[in-house]
Amino acid sequence: MRASRGAPDPARAELDAEILDWMREAEWREDEGRFERLALALFAFQFEHCAAYRSFCEGRGRAPGRVRSWRDVPPVPSGAFKELALRCFPAERTVVSFRTSGTATSARGALHLDTLELYEGSLLPSFRRHLLPDLPAGERVLLLVLAPPPEEAPDSSLTHMFAVAIRELGAPGSAFQVKAGELAADRVLRDLREAEASGTPVVLCGTAFAFVHLLDELERRGVRAALPSGSRLMETGGFKGRSRELSRAELYADLAEALGVPESRMLNQYGMTELGSQFYDSVLLQPGEPRRKLAPPWTRVAIVDPRNGAGVRVGETGAIVVVDLANTGSVLAIQTADVGRALRDGFEVLGREPGAEQRGCSIAADELLRANP
Amino acid sequence: MKPDAIARRLAELREAGAKLRRRPASETLAALERVLDGWRDADSPWRRSLEAELPEASGFSAATVREGLARGLTSWSGAALRELVEREIGPAERLDAASTPLASGFDSTAVLLAGSIPMPSLLAMIAPLALRSPVLVKPASRDLLTPRLVARSLAETDAELGQCLGIVEFPGGDEACSGALLEADCIVATGSDATVAAVRARVRTPRRVVTYGHRCSVAALGAAATRGRALREAARRLALDVALWDQLGCLSPIAVYVAGGDPAAPDRAAEALADALAEAEARWPRGAVDAASAAAIAHERADAELRAAAGRRVALHASPGGTAWTVVREENAAPRPAPLHRFLRVHPVPDADALLSALRPLGAHLAAVAIEGFGAGAHPLARGLAELGASRICRAGNLQSPPLGWRHDGRGVLAPIARFADFETA
Repeated sequence: MRASRGAPDPARAELDAEILDWMREAEWREDEGRFERLALALFAFQFEHCAAYRSFCEGRGRAPGRVRSWRDVPPVPSGAFKELALRCFPAERTVVSFRTSGTATSARGALHLDTLELYEGSLLPSFRRHLLPDLPAGERVLLLVLAPPPEEAPDSSLTHMFAVAIRELGAPGSAFQVKAGELAADRVLRDLREAEASGTPVVLCGTAFAFVHLLDELERRGVRAALPSGSRLMETGGFKGRSRELSRAELYADLAEALGVPESRMLNQYGMTELGSQFYDSVLLQPGEPRRKLAPPWTRVAIVDPRNGAGVRVGETGAIVVVDLANTGSVLAIQTADVGRALRDGFEVLGREPGAEQRGCSIAADELLRANP
Repeated sequence: MKPDAIARRLAELREAGAKLRRRPASETLAALERVLDGWRDADSPWRRSLEAELPEASGFSAATVREGLARGLTSWSGAALRELVEREIGPAERLDAASTPLASGFDSTAVLLAGSIPMPSLLAMIAPLALRSPVLVKPASRDLLTPRLVARSLAETDAELGQCLGIVEFPGGDEACSGALLEADCIVATGSDATVAAVRARVRTPRRVVTYGHRCSVAALGAAATRGRALREAARRLALDVALWDQLGCLSPIAVYVAGGDPAAPDRAAEALADALAEAEARWPRGAVDAASAAAIAHERADAELRAAAGRRVALHASPGGTAWTVVREENAAPRPAPLHRFLRVHPVPDADALLSALRPLGAHLAAVAIEGFGAGAHPLARGLAELGASRICRAGNLQSPPLGWRHDGRGVLAPIARFADFETA
């Protein structure tokens, strides 16, 4: 990471400031007009400053002036970040490049940023609102993170997110619990035991596969924990061949049994390197209501019919498209490879395992390479 | 179905198998020949039922099922089965008790099916029976129909043979039922690498376990097939290979490599393939696509569009108004995501050696390669492809009609599920 060089584009600086103001507001208020205005202004800026994106939009007959709704902003596929530097600023202004995970044979996607202000401006209020809605202002919590620390994963956006969370919200003892690529099992278990003994609620965060490693370690040692009331878990990402694979229901059930935390206090976070914002399960913010993903007001999640890009009706499934105002330096509209279900407020993520039953023993080359790096 | 019911079914099948083995092997083989000849007959009631009911069960269009079965079963005759037995076992009498060397099937064979293409399922059920091993089959969740119709065809042809095929249905994750099924003496499992590895891990030794995991196929065009009528014909034949079974089989080509060094050849090939896939769509419409597959197609189309917009030598050809077919002209030979469901990538490679290098990462998972236009270079190329791991090299247009005796995974059809013993008298 290095300091940004020179002054940013004035139009961009103005947009950044307005979006940051929104992120800093104490109350989250849906404001369609405000979102529409900022999304269209950002689209116009990105159209002008990212040549590849401009050509892409022109190919679809879309341009500022002709696009009248955020719904019509052409989304770029998330996979494109693997080989195109989609940025709206000179390369020398890059302060950090977050990269997706990958294998020896597959390219890694990269999100280049010339400022971390928006990234951090978006992640903190979301993290706090969904994971710590009951945390009084000014107080901190014990954050135990099942992910590698920044010195071991300097280009991981997830690690950066956790580092910011520890910096801003972590109580003494908060720490990363993966070292040299391995779960620091002794340390985690010691910290969990101490929390148990002192009655200190724990916020345990990390990748889904790291939680599986924790489960396996607890099983191997024949131990369980009964974490104090108020403890909670947040997991994110898939397994990607890094651990045995479990359904989310199985993972939560096993974690509840092993750690003594009810499933109603376990959250999934949906995020990706290519996005500046993240989406969390609603269960802690709206206990008793159906579990679903909620979006911060400076984002929109559209579930679209893959055949034509049109939005589906509530209850129907389709491809997930995210429009994220935090992505000021890249492209605000991202077409993911994930499938989701549209809900009246919020959405569900249904995963990305296309037609497994239909395919039998056939396999796509990329999956094959992922499976056999 | 409960585990104890599966155990009972297995015991019944072992008894039925013992009874079958008291008859001359040639009698059973003759009955199976009649079964296969019946399946080849488009007017047979079994074939008509499969053609009528499979589209709704599997999602394939009726025209695709009809064409796929017609082409797939063309060479699967009773005579072909006899030849297969001759080749891998020897004369059918060798399966009888009095013969030496000894050859036999197992007292029971469990067959775990996958996918929704009926051809491999049919053969997986028939093969153990040719060795007089009774079969307990677990159908694929997307095709419950084929096993039922195969059972019917056996029973209607030869009642005793019909009693040697049992079907058990239970959800994929049912460990108790799965355990009961895996008590069979020989286990044949098809599916993803993870699925077959899980089966292998669960089987108690000593048992014969034969697994068929992930496989994919590709095609390659040499210089002679990259222009004019030869290209149009190759594209038409490859479009058939892609369209049949909606590119969901391990013999479906997921990519076409264009060799020869002419930088315009991949462009021409992509255009010809797009035209041919559009024509194929009119004759054999693509079937149902789940939301995740449609999302993957949309994502990869947009990815190609964006790379082209960024100045890369990439071109997208796509069916208008839907996801029916897609061709992407790629700028290099690097493997990329293949969403299937008639999504084809066209990769340039300078020559046959570069083609082999490009395919090396796929080698162990390569099923078949269709080649056209390599002239005298075809034989050394076929040798190179075989060394990489391909077990079938054929002409474009033939991928979906493998001979009955194709040595799937290079292992044979009957030999992997047979027991051989040499009796040395001197």
